[in-house]
Amino acid sequence: MKDIGDEAGRRSRIGTRTFRVPAHRLESSIVNAPASDPRSPVAPPPVVVARGLTKIYDTGGTRVHALDGVDVEFHRGAFTAIMGPSGSGKSTLMHCLAGLDVPSSGTVHLGRTQITGLRDAELTLLRRDRIGFIFQSFNLLPMLTAEQNILLPSQIAKRKVDRERFDRVVEVVGLRERLHHLPAKLSGGQQQRVAVARALLSAPEVVYADEPTGNLDSRSGSEVLEFLRTSAEEMHQTIVMVTHDPIAASYADRVVFLRDGRLVDEVSEPTAELVSARLLKLEEA
Amino acid sequence: MLRTTLAGLRLHKSRYVTTVLAIMLGVMFTTGTMVFADTLKAGYEKTVMGSATSVDAIAVDTHTEPEGLDEPWETVPLTEEHLTAIRGLPEVSGAGGMAQGQAVLLDGEGRAFGFAPPAAVSIEEHSRFSADEGRLPVGGGEIALATSTAEQIGFEIGDTVTVLDREQEKRDFELTGLVDFGADRTYSQLGTVVFDTATLREMTGAEGYSEIDVIASEGHTDDQVVEAVSTVLGPDFEVSTGEEFGLAMAEGSGADTEMLRVVLLLFSFIAMFVAGIVIYNTFAILIAQRQRELALLRCVGAKRSQVFRSVLAESVVVGLVASALGVLAGIGIGLAGATFGGPLLGTEGSTLVITPLAVAVGLVLGTTVTVFSALVPATRATRVAPLAALRTSATAAGLEKGTGWIRVVLGVAAFAVSAALVGFSQATGPDPLGPVVVTAAALVAFVGVVVLGPLLVRGIVRVVGAPLRRVGVPSMLAVDNSVRSPRRAATAMIALTVGATLITGYSVVSASTEATLTEELEDRFPVDYQIMAQYGAEAIAGEGTEEIPEDGGAAEGTEDALGEETGTDDVEGMAWPLDPGIPTEVRALLQEQDVLERVMADRGVALATEGDDLLPVTTYVNGRLGVDLTADTVEGELTDLGPGKVVLSEGYADGAKVGDTFGVPGLWDGRDLDLEVVAITEDAQRLNGAVIDPEDFAAAFPEITEDRALFVIAKDEADPALVRETVMGAVDGYPTLQVVSVAEMKNQFSEVLDIAFYTVAAMLGLAIIIAVFGISNTMALSVLERTRESALLRALGLTRAQLRRMLSVEAVLLCLIGAGIGIVLGVVFGWAAADSVLPGMVFSAPVDQIAVFIALALLAGLIAAVLPARRAAGTSITGALASE
Repeated sequence: MKDIGDEAGRRSRIGTRTFRVPAHRLESSIVNAPASDPRSPVAPPPVVVARGLTKIYDTGGTRVHALDGVDVEFHRGAFTAIMGPSGSGKSTLMHCLAGLDVPSSGTVHLGRTQITGLRDAELTLLRRDRIGFIFQSFNLLPMLTAEQNILLPSQIAKRKVDRERFDRVVEVVGLRERLHHLPAKLSGGQQQRVAVARALLSAPEVVYADEPTGNLDSRSGSEVLEFLRTSAEEMHQTIVMVTHDPIAASYADRVVFLRDGRLVDEVSEPTAELVSARLLKLEEA
Repeated sequence: MLRTTLAGLRLHKSRYVTTVLAIMLGVMFTTGTMVFADTLKAGYEKTVMGSATSVDAIAVDTHTEPEGLDEPWETVPLTEEHLTAIRGLPEVSGAGGMAQGQAVLLDGEGRAFGFAPPAAVSIEEHSRFSADEGRLPVGGGEIALATSTAEQIGFEIGDTVTVLDREQEKRDFELTGLVDFGADRTYSQLGTVVFDTATLREMTGAEGYSEIDVIASEGHTDDQVVEAVSTVLGPDFEVSTGEEFGLAMAEGSGADTEMLRVVLLLFSFIAMFVAGIVIYNTFAILIAQRQRELALLRCVGAKRSQVFRSVLAESVVVGLVASALGVLAGIGIGLAGATFGGPLLGTEGSTLVITPLAVAVGLVLGTTVTVFSALVPATRATRVAPLAALRTSATAAGLEKGTGWIRVVLGVAAFAVSAALVGFSQATGPDPLGPVVVTAAALVAFVGVVVLGPLLVRGIVRVVGAPLRRVGVPSMLAVDNSVRSPRRAATAMIALTVGATLITGYSVVSASTEATLTEELEDRFPVDYQIMAQYGAEAIAGEGTEEIPEDGGAAEGTEDALGEETGTDDVEGMAWPLDPGIPTEVRALLQEQDVLERVMADRGVALATEGDDLLPVTTYVNGRLGVDLTADTVEGELTDLGPGKVVLSEGYADGAKVGDTFGVPGLWDGRDLDLEVVAITEDAQRLNGAVIDPEDFAAAFPEITEDRALFVIAKDEADPALVRETVMGAVDGYPTLQVVSVAEMKNQFSEVLDIAFYTVAAMLGLAIIIAVFGISNTMALSVLERTRESALLRALGLTRAQLRRMLSVEAVLLCLIGAGIGIVLGVVFGWAAADSVLPGMVFSAPVDQIAVFIALALLAGLIAAVLPARRAAGTSITGALASE
């Protein structure tokens, strides 16, 4: 357990983003990690697939295409950033992928489940059991302690909490000392880490993060992002993150660019400079 | 600034809906009461006036109030000569005399009607009364009854009605008509029978007339007639125009309406008080939620005073609109009340009366209460610093700070003072001032609850919440939510506590009264039937005159005693029987019956002692003191009573102790009777004054040969129907004896208490409805505040149903705490109030009623949560997440 924390710290210092821990080693160290085929760690199947996603808002006579035929897929263990200028449809895309919002047309699959067309109650259960969320702000319930907040989704689902995994996640996000504090007593960075821990605890099929570092200073922000990347790499956690910050996006394996509701570009193994340049180009175009 | 206020109001109007409803209900009740009472009063006046205005002048006999207790009323009746003289006046076209006496009326079963004989009057031509159905009686074979009397007994026109004449002989009459005497107490209280004048004189011996009604001849005004009649009658008689007479009577009869108005207004005061709490809480929450908005106003240059005025202006608008709606609703309620309640209270077909006062009171009261309740929040609004606009709202995410120690000290002090007051009221023993002290104690305790409210909420939630937390996530979250703003929760809950305290308190008093009475009847005085004589004429102050002869047998003993009493002025003490007696044959007859275990009798006199006090001296023939009759004793044994002994009640003991000698003063032959005190009983119980042995009593008061009351105890195995038949058979020859079944008496008493309880509960129900609105409003505003939180919970997988359940549990928790505190206060102070007035009070907590309250509180919580929960569950997640 300890070695992983140290490792994460060392890697971030060296900055070698390409270093990967072999999957079979992870299997032995992570209890309850999502089952994946140890023989083909480089080509995991897509977890989320969206086809022809369209979302039209009718605001007083003018029809706005928030999404205009988006096709996108996300693979197991991949950490993907969705980027784009304001109003490009980033958040709408994420909401539709997560079953928070209903697209006007198109389909979204989570694993084998087509989530478009599910009723509200089914969507609720889907979110509860198979999806994790991290929001920009107001992530935590103010009357619950950090621990209660982390355990909340499991309690709602009446899932038995795997204490070992809980301990490990808490250790990874460094909240051991703060578990019994109310959110008001935690710093912004700590609050976001609680949210990350909550999203990771049940090892959901996909975690959606909406501007998770938007309200944080750069140091707390990089900590949170580092945890996200570690969990993607070491726990094979699929993560989809919406952001407008090129530095945040540079922590991801892949960045997809959105403009006027369309996917217009994609970068693998991004750096902050590369992402900024692409963004600038998008704004100019 | 005003424009900003109004724009804000328009924007947030949904937040005011329940507040408006709360004010509206309070105002509705107030205005409704006024309209109802005014309409009722007008109705009464019309009924009463109606009879008087049909004639032009009315002359009545004069009453002189007696100087001492033992003096009869002095009445100078109008005479036949007076009537003839009046008829002879040129101003008069007709005049009719009304004679008045009393007659014993028998009901269908042949028993005397009422606890005292009804009034008997003669109505002939030119009277202000006429037959409303059928016709007036003529000659010696006909009778008419007051409409209400006929209704009570169940007689209809054409029936044969039996009335006892002066010799107590039965005489049958044919019922020819019904006369509506309206609300006049003289005729409605004991009932009224109507004969023609000759028959009346024959039946009752009434002489002269009590009233002469006069019709003016053409060309003469009422005043001229009055003057002419006055001249004929002289200064001894009062003459007034029909209208004046009617107005005077209306004034008197209006007292009932005024009483009703005062009682109803008391309830509307409670309702408005609760509405005030609700309004205060609403404004306080709204101000807290609008901190940033207000700070922004300050940022762009609004002065503190402008912010204050803005909030106040808002309250004025809300108050006025709500009050106006309330006044309209109140007029509707008043109309409904007069339409459905009027006939029950003796007025019919009265037109709706809406006085400007009723409207003004409603508007002013509603608006004032609203503005007043908004004062504190408005002041708080002025303290919002402009910088707050830049910070995120403190209320949205934050939790209220803990309770200050000043609060705790104040609250505990309030409870201590309250406890001391209750202790004081209990220590002083039964006292008419007791309930006042207890009420004061309750008010002080209430202040304590208000001060400690937030702490109480938190403490109770901690205890009650522990098991709830384990039920599921929604209830766990609800428990946490309910203590997020304890002050807000406490205020919402206290509105409910007011109503719950009052209802529970009243129900405890009511149940304890019943339990006390039951114990009194079943354990201390376990008799099955009680037989008493119908009150004689002289027993009813003001009704009787010397001109009315005795009702006969039943009162003959009285006559003897009275004669004796007036004839023994030289004796220091005077004595007379308290009530008319029962012929001894009745007891003798009853004692022969096999089905009866025992027939007790009591005989008694009241002796004038050295002061002005009267000492009741009683003996129980056949009754074993301490066995058949018990009472709480201060000292001594009741069973020790025997010849030469006396049992005293504490108040009359005058410091005497067991073993002392007590002189029963002023006996008939001037001798004092020195008796040994064997027991002292507590005051205000069944045994009152001096209780002595029958032997001593017979020796001391040989003139008293009749029993005051008989107490019949049936054998345990006896068939109740047979017992009843036996008892009724024994009194068959004595129609004026009143037989009361103790079981019936108990039932009647319970029924009266129940009706009173349900009426009070219904009235207080309004205050509870208003409080539920308040809780609903608090919930709704909290839901608005927690929109993002709800969205987050939904995103994390809480279903809509679970979200709704969460809010329902929170509301139910609030309602239960509010009701629970109210019930505790109600039980404590109900007990204290009952104990401070009822001697030997048997405490009874109406468990079933309290269970109903708790169930109602639960239901109220569920209802209060319906709208807020719908709203919370209906909000789109993405929309809520995007806001702010």
